[in-house]
Amino acid sequence: MVGVLVLDIVTTAAILFAVATGLMIILGVMKLINFAHGAFLTIGGYAAYVATSLGWNPWLAIPFAALVGFLLGVIVEHVIVRPLYARPLDAILATWGLGIIIGQLITIGFGRQVQFVESPISGAIDFLGQSYSLYRLVLVVLALAMGAALTALLYFTRFGLNARAVIMNEDLARGLGIDSTKVRLLTFGLGAALASMAGALITPLISVDPNLGLPWLVNSFMLVLVSGVSIPGLMVAALILGGAQVIVSTYFSAILGGLTIVVIAAVILRVRPQGLTSG
Amino acid sequence: MAERARPAAGAGRSPVLKRRSDLGIVLKVGALALVVLGAAPFFLDIYSVNILIRALFLAALALTVDLLWGYTGILTFGQSAFFGIGAYACALVFTHWGFGAGWAVLALALGIVAAMAVAALAGWLAFYHGASPLYGSIVTLALPIVLTQVVFAGGRTTGSSSGLSGFPTYYWTIEIWFWVAGAFLVVVTGLAWLFVRSDMGRILVAIKENETRCAYLGIPVPRIKILLFVVAGGIGAIAGFGYAAFTNVVAPELTGFLLGTELLIWVALGGRGTLIGPVMGAILIDVTSSYLSGGLPFYWKLLVGILFVVVIVALPQGLMPVVANRWRRLVRSAENEAETPVLEVASPRDRAHDEEQPLDVRNVHRNFGSLQVLQGIDFIANKGELLSLVGPNGAGKTTLIRCLADGHERSGGDIAIYGQALGRWPPDRCVALGIGRKFQAANVFATLTVAECLRVARYRLDRPSVWARKSVLALPEAALRIVEETGLAKTLEVEARQLAHGQKQALELAMVLALEPSIVLLDEPTAGLTRVERERIGAILTSLTERERLSILLVEHDLDFVREISSRVIVLHQGRIVLDGSVEDVVGSDLVRQIYSGGVYGERSEES
Amino acid sequence: MVKTRFGIWVGALALATVFGSGGVMSAETIKIGIPVGLSGANSVVAPSVVQAAELAVAEINKAGGVIGRQLELIVADDGSGAQGAQKAFDSLVFQKKVDVLISMETSAARNAGLPIVNRGRVPFIYTSFYEGRSCSPWLYVNAWVPEQQVAPIVDYFMDTKRAKTYFLIGSDYAFGRGMLEFTRAYIDQRGGKVLGEEYLPMDGTDWTAIISKLKASGADALITSTAGGAPNVTLTKQLRAAGVDIPYGNLAVDEGTARNMGADAAGIYISASYITDIGSAENKRFLKAMMAMFGDDLKTPNDLSVPEYEGVYLYKLAVEKAGTTDAQAVVDALGEVAFQGPRGRIQMNKQHHAPLTMYLAQVQADGGIKLINSFKDVDPGEQCPNL
Repeated sequence: MVGVLVLDIVTTAAILFAVATGLMIILGVMKLINFAHGAFLTIGGYAAYVATSLGWNPWLAIPFAALVGFLLGVIVEHVIVRPLYARPLDAILATWGLGIIIGQLITIGFGRQVQFVESPISGAIDFLGQSYSLYRLVLVVLALAMGAALTALLYFTRFGLNARAVIMNEDLARGLGIDSTKVRLLTFGLGAALASMAGALITPLISVDPNLGLPWLVNSFMLVLVSGVSIPGLMVAALILGGAQVIVSTYFSAILGGLTIVVIAAVILRVRPQGLTSG
Repeated sequence: MAERARPAAGAGRSPVLKRRSDLGIVLKVGALALVVLGAAPFFLDIYSVNILIRALFLAALALTVDLLWGYTGILTFGQSAFFGIGAYACALVFTHWGFGAGWAVLALALGIVAAMAVAALAGWLAFYHGASPLYGSIVTLALPIVLTQVVFAGGRTTGSSSGLSGFPTYYWTIEIWFWVAGAFLVVVTGLAWLFVRSDMGRILVAIKENETRCAYLGIPVPRIKILLFVVAGGIGAIAGFGYAAFTNVVAPELTGFLLGTELLIWVALGGRGTLIGPVMGAILIDVTSSYLSGGLPFYWKLLVGILFVVVIVALPQGLMPVVANRWRRLVRSAENEAETPVLEVASPRDRAHDEEQPLDVRNVHRNFGSLQVLQGIDFIANKGELLSLVGPNGAGKTTLIRCLADGHERSGGDIAIYGQALGRWPPDRCVALGIGRKFQAANVFATLTVAECLRVARYRLDRPSVWARKSVLALPEAALRIVEETGLAKTLEVEARQLAHGQKQALELAMVLALEPSIVLLDEPTAGLTRVERERIGAILTSLTERERLSILLVEHDLDFVREISSRVIVLHQGRIVLDGSVEDVVGSDLVRQIYSGGVYGERSEES
Repeated sequence: MVKTRFGIWVGALALATVFGSGGVMSAETIKIGIPVGLSGANSVVAPSVVQAAELAVAEINKAGGVIGRQLELIVADDGSGAQGAQKAFDSLVFQKKVDVLISMETSAARNAGLPIVNRGRVPFIYTSFYEGRSCSPWLYVNAWVPEQQVAPIVDYFMDTKRAKTYFLIGSDYAFGRGMLEFTRAYIDQRGGKVLGEEYLPMDGTDWTAIISKLKASGADALITSTAGGAPNVTLTKQLRAAGVDIPYGNLAVDEGTARNMGADAAGIYISASYITDIGSAENKRFLKAMMAMFGDDLKTPNDLSVPEYEGVYLYKLAVEKAGTTDAQAVVDALGEVAFQGPRGRIQMNKQHHAPLTMYLAQVQADGGIKLINSFKDVDPGEQCPNL
């Protein structure tokens, strides 16, 4: 039982991490909470649905979803987010409105029913003496890969360097000649792409319907606020908070388990407003 | 309506008349609204009346959101939680305990008390000195989520996902329910209207505009926010109680996150900060969605979503004012007709501690991690002293000012004002001890008039009324002098953002002096001033030290100015005091010359 | 494929608008109100329910209507929840002034609508299976309750699969809890043992912890009662991904959803009062007529939509028996009339509920439904002793 519990915690943390990275990168560079994050997750799920309906290999759905998310994110940044640069609270509301719009458009276009997406891997395997869902285990690997790729992007590319400069001090970065407008544009696109990709990644475990992303939204941004803008920080936060959720669900009630992340995060932030890692 | 009730403009009106005219508007409009509401059920069909009753309760809830968000700047997703508490209190008591007049009163009381308790807890969590607005919004976001889960977890008791229905309730006729809901809305709106038009209402706007400035004016911002949140929670609970008693159904949706965001949408579309806009917006949108929900649920939601985004991005005033321009002009004109207050001298407050040292700083230091910005700061300030703080950029001057005005700022050391320790008090308590801080950039309340800015500054000593505007503005002599000498007395009705730079600086100084401080901290007061203005400021500061015997601490780069007016100078360099003496001492000092030109002394300290 | 779906939805919305706006029918028509979940959790099955009603109305109107008057359908969206249901019921009862309500709802919606039904004094034929014991003089139910649905599955598991220990999983709402409460009682009564009973909120998607508990318990069989739509799908997907393959009885999945779930649904046992395979002449005729009327747009008839079809006919018979559409007279007649429908002989004469023939079936790997056993005229038990 403990073995399964540990696996549950690790896989839950991996899923939370994958889902939250997109939000974190946007928060870091643009200092804004993207409340359309849930809608981008949903878009990723539907992109995967479209890809598999067209007969493609289910693994291809993931980069396809990322592409769709990126393009949409770039448009959204330009039209909705940019004018609200100086009004972060209003940006939360505008992105929430955007989420509603995306949700309704998906409903009108695809219908309200649940769609079924072919899963690239199914079934369980024996892992460390436990029979456990293979896809969940694979997700851990994929989440780590996402983290590694993002780290590489941030630390080994020009864009990453510019983005880190803007994260630390936007005015100074602009003073040094970095086009922060372009960085913000690309970052929002990247964040949306990551969210869509995560949406595609989790479709084998959930159902694809217009409200796919909503339950993840609040947990994601609580996680991101607690972790601060840092990839290892997000992994740690995902482990701690995800672990708490699994433990409460297992030993108390799954209903209260849904609450754990929100409550614990609110308390942590009260005590340490800058999150577990600062900056 | 407001035009007929407008009082003739002019100074010297007695306070009693001013209160009456505001109250008069409310009573007249309220009476008209009640008449309309009284007649309405006889002209409308049952279905519309049904829908409207629900919309009226929700509109009262939207009003509370406007008070919190539109007026005070607290973005709250949480009002639905209090609505839900009130609704469930009604349903739970009537379902599980009993029904009757006594039970109804008990249920209502329980709902209100529970809502207020939760609001107080959430407020304590969310609104503390230094909390970011984002964190506050997050706590208000967590409220409905937590509450919904609690309801879900309640199993049979709360009905969980299905909710409770069919419990015994007041099966009054639909007309009576309409009148009850309508009267409730009219009363709440009327009281809210009086409140936001009162002096206390201006404080809310000041908090929304510039919270920092408020804190440094001695206004206990966290306490006010918590109080407002608690009151809003109580009103929300009453609305929820009425809603549940009428509809005879409660479900987790009433406590949820989605309702919370819908309220924000209604307020945004109706026009935040206008009170009537959100009320009308809520009623209109809710009624329309009821009519359209049969045919086109998705397109309607899409339309609302698009309008919402458009409003947030491009039309922050909402759609209602665009549509009802005349109403907006009415509101503006009614507000401009507000009385110009009469200036008066305030009797100075008691100074019991005249023998003590005004300012005693001992071994204060400030680090940021391993970076030492200030170390070993030791000095005293005497009464009637004009102490200038000079030093090259980066020496730590502004940091020192911050340490004096905010107990949290320093990393260590002791500061005492008239013998009382500054400790770890937040800025508003430091003001109570006698500190008044004027910021470098003119830090006033852009959309408030000069008179209102000054009134806000008098919060601590002259508690504002919660339902009226006083027609007399009492200022201490020093502040009054500034207001009259700089010509501000003629511009009392002008919005602060329209003042010239020099006027803004003077206003801020007057606001600081309105606090009746013992010690005034000024950060580069001459920045951006013309020569004439500089001379005037110099004269004012000098007179403050001579007549009111204030201690003034001044950070300055203009060394001529320093030489002209200071009685003492302290030189800071790389976080330490290198010289503390009279003007002649400092002016003649080689050391100082070297510091300013980056000479030998500077090099030596780089080595160490 | 995406375009067809879009087309279906435009068509459905257009239909709904036409019906929802009251249409252009004459004032002589008898109005049937259908408050149903066009949006929300029930939006998946709502179209099939509306189609069933449309077929019934078309057939009856073609045959001359009811007591010389034509039938008219008015659909309203109840959002699958309490708030929406209030608006929908209000609209139908007080604004459109319908003569009868015939529809399926979630329990939350039904509970929210009942006070309005009572106030408006309108007959309400509830066509959805539910947790039982909802009573009102104006409410009639022609779908099954736990007393009818649970026994076949548990009996089969106990007798044929030799399952002694059980694990119960559900969504936390009245239906979920009610069904599992009854299931537990029935299992205890038959000498079995329930090792665990776990719930997730209706909108929960993460069954991880619960599935781990299930596997740890080592139960012989699993019985679930989750909310329709997404929870069914997420639970099944996650169960299969975790390798759970013990006998799995799903009290709340309809044939259509099970078919669509593909490989994941294989092996699930369902107990229903309707499956498309029923060999009766009425069912064959019914299916043919549905095919003819809707063609490619046909939504598979299921255990939620066929009772709707029968409900309309039951109303017709009751009005004819009473000779009027007067609410009180119709309500009295509804408990007596009987209709031979696709599900067999339906008569709501047991405390406003109906004895039904129940079918036990298993979903096959190819998406087909294999009939295992059928039980005639299962009694609904004591649902509303005071009626």
